[in-house]
Amino acid sequence: MIVADKKPVEEIIDYVTDCKNILVLGCNECVTVCEAGGKKEVEVLASTLRMCFLNQGTEVSIDEITLERQCDHEYLEEIRDVADRYDAIISLACGVGVQFMAEKYHSVPIYPGVNTCFLGATEKRGLWTERCQACGNCMLAITGGICPVSRCAKRILNGPCGGSSNGKCEINKDLDCAWQLIIDRLKALDRLEDYEKICSIKDWSTDRAGGPRKVVREDVQS
Amino acid sequence: MTENASTKKIMRGAVMVVGGGIGAMQACLDLADSGFKVHMVQKDSSIGGTMVMLDKTFPTGDCSMCMISPKMVDVGKHRNIDMHTLAEVVSVSGEPGDFTVKVRLKPRYVDPEKCTGCGTCEEKCPKKVDSEFEQGLSVRKAIFSLFPQALPNTRAIDRQNCIYFQKGRCKVCEKVCKADAINWEDTGEEFELNVGAIILSPGLNRYDPEVRQELGFGRWPNVVTSIQFERILSASGPYQGTVMRPGDKKHPEKIAWIQCVGSRDSNNANPWCSSVCCMYATKQAVVAKEHDSSIDPTIFYMDIRAFGKDFDKYVNRAKDVHKIRYQRAMISAVREEPGTSNLILRYADEFGELKDEIFDMVVLSIGFEPHADAEEFAKIFGIALNDHRFPATPPFNPVETTRPGVYVTGIYQGPKDIPETVMQGSAVAGTTMALLSEARGTEVVVKELPPQREIADEEIRIGVFVCHCGINIASVVDVAAVKEYAGTLPHVVYSGQNLFTCAQDSMNKIKDIIQEHGINRLVVAACSPKTHEPAFMDTMESCGINKYLFEMANIRNQCSWTHSKEPDKATEKSKELVRMAVARVAKLTPLQEKKIPVIQRALVVGGGIAGINAALGLADQGFEVILLEKEESLGGLATRINTTIEGADVKSYVNDQIEKVTSHPNIQVLTQALIVGFSGFKGNFTTEVLVGPGMYERKIDHGVVILATGATEYRPDEFLYGRDDRVMTQIELSEHLQEKGAESLNQVVMIQCVGSRNDENPNCSRVCCQAAIKNALKIKQMNPKTKIIILYRDMRTYGLLEDYYAEARNKGILFFTYELENPPEVNSSEGDLTITFKDRVLGRSLKAKADVLALSAGMVAEDTEELSSILKLARTAEGFFMEAHVKLRPVDMATEGIFVCGTAHSPKLISESISQSLAATARATTFLSQSHLTLSAVTARVDPEKCASCLICVRSCPYEVPKINAEGVSEIDEALCHGCGVCAAECPAKAIDLNWYEDDQIMCKVDALLEGAL
Repeated sequence: MIVADKKPVEEIIDYVTDCKNILVLGCNECVTVCEAGGKKEVEVLASTLRMCFLNQGTEVSIDEITLERQCDHEYLEEIRDVADRYDAIISLACGVGVQFMAEKYHSVPIYPGVNTCFLGATEKRGLWTERCQACGNCMLAITGGICPVSRCAKRILNGPCGGSSNGKCEINKDLDCAWQLIIDRLKALDRLEDYEKICSIKDWSTDRAGGPRKVVREDVQS
Repeated sequence: MTENASTKKIMRGAVMVVGGGIGAMQACLDLADSGFKVHMVQKDSSIGGTMVMLDKTFPTGDCSMCMISPKMVDVGKHRNIDMHTLAEVVSVSGEPGDFTVKVRLKPRYVDPEKCTGCGTCEEKCPKKVDSEFEQGLSVRKAIFSLFPQALPNTRAIDRQNCIYFQKGRCKVCEKVCKADAINWEDTGEEFELNVGAIILSPGLNRYDPEVRQELGFGRWPNVVTSIQFERILSASGPYQGTVMRPGDKKHPEKIAWIQCVGSRDSNNANPWCSSVCCMYATKQAVVAKEHDSSIDPTIFYMDIRAFGKDFDKYVNRAKDVHKIRYQRAMISAVREEPGTSNLILRYADEFGELKDEIFDMVVLSIGFEPHADAEEFAKIFGIALNDHRFPATPPFNPVETTRPGVYVTGIYQGPKDIPETVMQGSAVAGTTMALLSEARGTEVVVKELPPQREIADEEIRIGVFVCHCGINIASVVDVAAVKEYAGTLPHVVYSGQNLFTCAQDSMNKIKDIIQEHGINRLVVAACSPKTHEPAFMDTMESCGINKYLFEMANIRNQCSWTHSKEPDKATEKSKELVRMAVARVAKLTPLQEKKIPVIQRALVVGGGIAGINAALGLADQGFEVILLEKEESLGGLATRINTTIEGADVKSYVNDQIEKVTSHPNIQVLTQALIVGFSGFKGNFTTEVLVGPGMYERKIDHGVVILATGATEYRPDEFLYGRDDRVMTQIELSEHLQEKGAESLNQVVMIQCVGSRNDENPNCSRVCCQAAIKNALKIKQMNPKTKIIILYRDMRTYGLLEDYYAEARNKGILFFTYELENPPEVNSSEGDLTITFKDRVLGRSLKAKADVLALSAGMVAEDTEELSSILKLARTAEGFFMEAHVKLRPVDMATEGIFVCGTAHSPKLISESISQSLAATARATTFLSQSHLTLSAVTARVDPEKCASCLICVRSCPYEVPKINAEGVSEIDEALCHGCGVCAAECPAKAIDLNWYEDDQIMCKVDALLEGAL
C-alpha cells in the first residue's frame, strides 16, 4: 500500500489560517490502514483545528467527510454539491488523492494533510517499511523475492558493493544489506546459480527517468 | 410405603462455607453460580481474609485489593449467597446431604437493614483503637469497618473499646446516624440453617514472633513482621506507601528479611514450611526497591523455595535485575545499635564464618500456624486433625475430611499461596457439587422479571434522583439545589432527592415514581457506579424498563469528597455532572442481552490422573463427558509411580479410577484420539477428532473444554544418563526398588535439579525434592545400611512435606549443596561410578562411589504445540498452558469455557493435580449447569460498509476476537467480545462502535459540560 505519515499540525494550520469554512477530507484506503488519514484521523485533525481557532478567538466552521477513495472520479463526485462551500479543503489522502481532488475542483484550494512516504508494508502496528519503488520493470523473479531497487541504498543490480559488512549496509548499521539478503535467500532456495548471472543494464525508461508514466489497458477500456 | 418414604434420604441444595477469605469466596461463587444456595459464615465483621491486607502481588505487581475487591462485590451482590458476618458455628448435627447447623451471631450494635454504610459514625466516633487491619501501625475507631472496602460495609461497634459501653455516656454515633441504625440493645442471635454440606475455610493464624525474643520483635521498634511491611508498602496503608521505619519514620536503606520465622523449626516453633514466605519476601524486596531505589534488600534464608509456576523466573529477575541479595544463613540474634536504632544481625555465612552486619530495618517473614482454638473448632464439626493440628485429609482427595459431607479448603488444609487457595476453593466446590448434584437448583432464588415496556414510540421522559448519602454528600453539596437544577434540564419530568438512594425503601419509592410519571430513563446522582450501578439497574428491570437506559453521576467521589473545602464549587460541579448524565441518558437506546443455549457436554483432553478425575467429577454430577487420550491406554505418568510420599498406593488408585471412568455411563473414552479442528465459543464448541486405530473422524459438540494434557519426566543427557546403567531417574529408581529391592545398594547418590532451574528450563519442577526424599526413605526402610547422599541446590519440601525432609536428615541421609555454575562431576572410567562434588564448609572436593546415581529429572510439558495452535491457546515458553490470571483465575484459560488442570498447567504432585482437576470441574459446572448463558449487551460491532480491513482491531484486541471474514471485513463475535472497547477506540475508519458507549453517547456529555463555555 501507499504509506503516509501525519503532517505536523502547525504546517496545516499555516495553510488555512485565514479560512472560515474548512473541509477535512479523509480516505478510507491506504491512509486509513497506515493510520494517517482515515475517519479517525479526520476527527482528530478537525478537533485539533477547532481547538486552535477557538483559542485564537476566530470563528471557523470545520466539516469532516471521509470518502471511500480519493483516486477515483466516482468517489470524488460525492462532494460535488458541497465543495464550493469551503475556502479550503485539507485532503488526508496520499499525494495522488490530493492532486486528483485539485484537478477536479478548481474553485477551492486543496491542501495536503499528510506526507506521502513510500510503497510499503506494515511490519507491525506502528512500523511501516519500504518495499517497492514502482520502477515499472519488476526483477524480483531473479533476486529471490528481494528488491535491490527499493532496498539497496545504491540500487545496484549486481551486489553487494564494498560497503556491505556483517550483512549490514554502510549507510546505517541497522539497515540490512539487500544483497546479503538476496544471497542468503538464493542459498536457501538452492538457486545460487541465479546469483552468478550478471544482470544486464536495466531499462530505466519505465522508471521516473522516462518522465510521468501511464498504464494503458485497451482490453479493459470501454 | 411409609417406610420407603421415611428412609429416602433428604438432599439439600444449600451449602455452608465457614470462612471469608479468597478461597472461601471462590467456593461460594462457584457453588452459587452452579445452582446452589450458599451460606457464608465469617467470624470477622467483613469478608476478605488475608489477601485484602497485602499490597501488591507477584509476578504482575497488581494491587492485591484491586484484584480481590471486585470478587468481594460479586459475593456481596450474589442473590444466592447469604453472608453472615460476626458469626460462628456452635454445633452441627445430621449427615451428608442434610446437616443442621446452629449459628451464633455476635452483636454488631448496628442494624444492617437500616445502615447504608455512609461511614459518618466512624468519622465522628471519638475513640481511637489500634487498627488490626493496619497491624497496629495506625488507629481505627470504636465503631468501625475493618478496611475502607469492607463487605458488608455495615459498621460494627467494638464493645470493649466503646466509650458508651465502658463509661455509660457518649452515643455520638447514634446522634450522627441519619439512618437510625445504632442499636444498643443488640444481643446477637442464634439460628439454625439446614445445609447439604459444610466447607471449612477458616484460614490459619500468623506466627507470633514475639515468642522468639532473640529476633527483637516488640522490643526493637524497627523490627517489623512481613504483614506489617505489606501495610507499610501499601499506598492506602499507614504511611501512604512511603517506606519508613516505625521507630523514627526515617527512610531505611539496608533492609533485611529473615526467613522461616516460626517455620521449619521443630525445637522452638513449628516444624512445617509455610510455603509462601520465600516468594512474598522476594516480592516485598522488589516492590520496596520500586518505591525507593535507594533501598538495598538482603534476604537471609535456609532454602529458597520458589517451587510454583514461573516462580524461579521471578527470583532470578529479583537477583539479576533488581539486585536483591540472597544470603544463605540462619540469624541467631538481632540487636539494636545504641543511638541509631539500627539493627545488628549476627549470622554464620555459607563458609561458616561468623559475621555482624548492620541494617536499618528488619522484616521477619512469619509463617502460618493453626488457630489456637483448632481442636475446639474441629470438634464442633466432628473432623479429625493430624499431628500438627491441620485437618487430616486423604492424599487422593485433599479436600475431604474424616467426616463425610464436611470438607476443607485453603490454607486451613495446609499452607499454600493465593493461586493454590483459589484453585482449592474451586476444588472443594466441585467435590460438594458431586455430593449434592441431585438437589441442584432446589433452594436458589431465581430472578423473575416483568415483560419489558416498549418505549420506542414514547417521548424521552427522564427521572433524576439526587442522593444525600446521609451527610456524605449533603454536608458539602447543596442537594436540594442540584435537585431543583435537574428539574430544569431537557426531557427531565421528575427530580427528587433521597437520604439514601440505595436503601431498600428508596428503591421501592423509585419504582412507584417511575410508574407514576411514566419515566423511561433514569439518572442517579450519588456514588460510584462500580458499586451501585447493578442495584439501580435491577430496580429498573423490575419495573419493566430496559436497564441500559440508566446513567449515574458520581457526585460523592468526584464532588463532596474531593472538594469538601469548597461547598459552592462542589455543588456547581454536581450540577454539571448531572447535566452530563442527563444528556447521555437521553441518547441511550435499549439494549437486549442475548441468550445462547449451552451444550451440556464436556470435552476432557488427556486421560491421566487429572483428566480422569475431571471427567469423573463432571459425570458424577450427571453431565455427559467425552474423554480424549492420545495414547492407547489411560493413566498417564501416574502409571509409573508406585506410592505417594505418604505411602498411599498410586498404582491401585489409578487402576480403580480407570475402571470407574471406563465403566461410567456418562463417560465416553476415546483413545488414540487426535484433535484436528476446533471452533465455537463458550457453551457451544465443536471439536473434530481423529480416533484410532482406524483414524475415523468424529465431530463433537460440547459446552466446555478441560485441558489435562499432562507432563512427562525429563530425559537427561547429563551425568552419564543413558551411558551407564547405574545412572537412572527417580521414577526409574522407584521401579528398580520395586523390582530388585535395596539389598545390593551400599551407597546411593542423588543429584537434584537435573533439567530444571538452568538456562534451558529456568523453572523448578516442584516434585523432585519430595521424590528424592520419598525414594531415599524407601531405601532406608528396605535397607537401613545403605548410605545416601543427596546433592541439592535448595531443598524444596514445602508445606507439610518438610516432615519427610526432617525424617530423612534424622535417618542419617547426607545433604550437600551445589551451585548451578559448579555441578557435581560423574565418572565411570575405572568401573566404579564416582561422583565428585565440592563441600563449601570444608572448602574442598569430596568423592563418593555409588551403586546407583539417581537423577531428580524435572518435569517437561507434553508436546501441545499443535493442540494449542488449533485451540488458539497461550502457553508459557516451557510449553505449559497459560491461565487467564496467575492469581485469581488459575484454572480458567483466557478463552471462556476452557479450563486447565494438572501438570498441563505446571508441574505438581498427584494430590495437587487431583485438586486442580476438581477445581476445573467446578469451574466447568458454572457453565454446564445453566441451560442458557446471558451475554452482556455491551459488545463491539462493526459496520462492514466502513471497514477498511486494516487489521488494527485484529491486532489490538486483547482477547483475539475480531477476525477478517470471508467478505473481507472485520467481524466481532458478540459471544466472545468482552466489551473492553479497545477496537472501537483504535479503528482508524471509525467502523466499530461499542454498545452503550457509542461516540455520540460520550461526546454528548462533553458537549453538555462545555455548553455555554465555548
